[in-house]
Amino acid sequence: MFAISADTAPMNAAVVEKMALPFPMLSDTGRQEAITPLGFADEKDPREISRPGAVIISPDAEVVFSFVGRDYADRPFEDVLLDELGALGLPPTEQPPPELGEILPGDKAMPLRGLGPYYRGAKFAALAIRGRHRNLGDDFGDDLKGYVEMVDRYLEALPGVEERKA
Amino acid sequence: MAINFTVTDTAGKSWTLSDHLDSAAVFTFQRGDF
Repeated sequence: MFAISADTAPMNAAVVEKMALPFPMLSDTGRQEAITPLGFADEKDPREISRPGAVIISPDAEVVFSFVGRDYADRPFEDVLLDELGALGLPPTEQPPPELGEILPGDKAMPLRGLGPYYRGAKFAALAIRGRHRNLGDDFGDDLKGYVEMVDRYLEALPGVEERKA
Repeated sequence: MAINFTVTDTAGKSWTLSDHLDSAAVFTFQRGDF
């Protein structure tokens, strides 16, 4: 598994180091190599970043799964990706991850210790909004329920990050 | 249609998809600056 962003290699290295990511991050700063060709560019966003989402590419370089998120909170859960991979019946890669070079977080990067309060704040804000607008129908409720589930998964994963860094 | 691309890894080195497809590969796309 790999992650791709439009950030620089040092910024990606900072994320890998901060989150003790067990997978590499790759940099497509111009968004022309992978982000745009695979459908993840958002031309309306002046920040020139990638939309969230995922693709699975087969060994013969075909895209066999693609999910392009509507916004930062819209991305497939890992069990969806694992199910799609399992269906391919392929062995795991034996390649080692790339090394980390220069580590230089971006100006807006959040420290690891800030993530727990950030996620909890986002979760309770979503719950409050859901409580205020129960009349908006199932689509709204389902979206908020999915958002809260995503945040809960992130909160559950945080202790694991600390363990990997220890 | 087969695809290929070259991006940059965290060591600052070029990373080309076709060099790394010994199995299926999952790519998650991140907004960045996290």
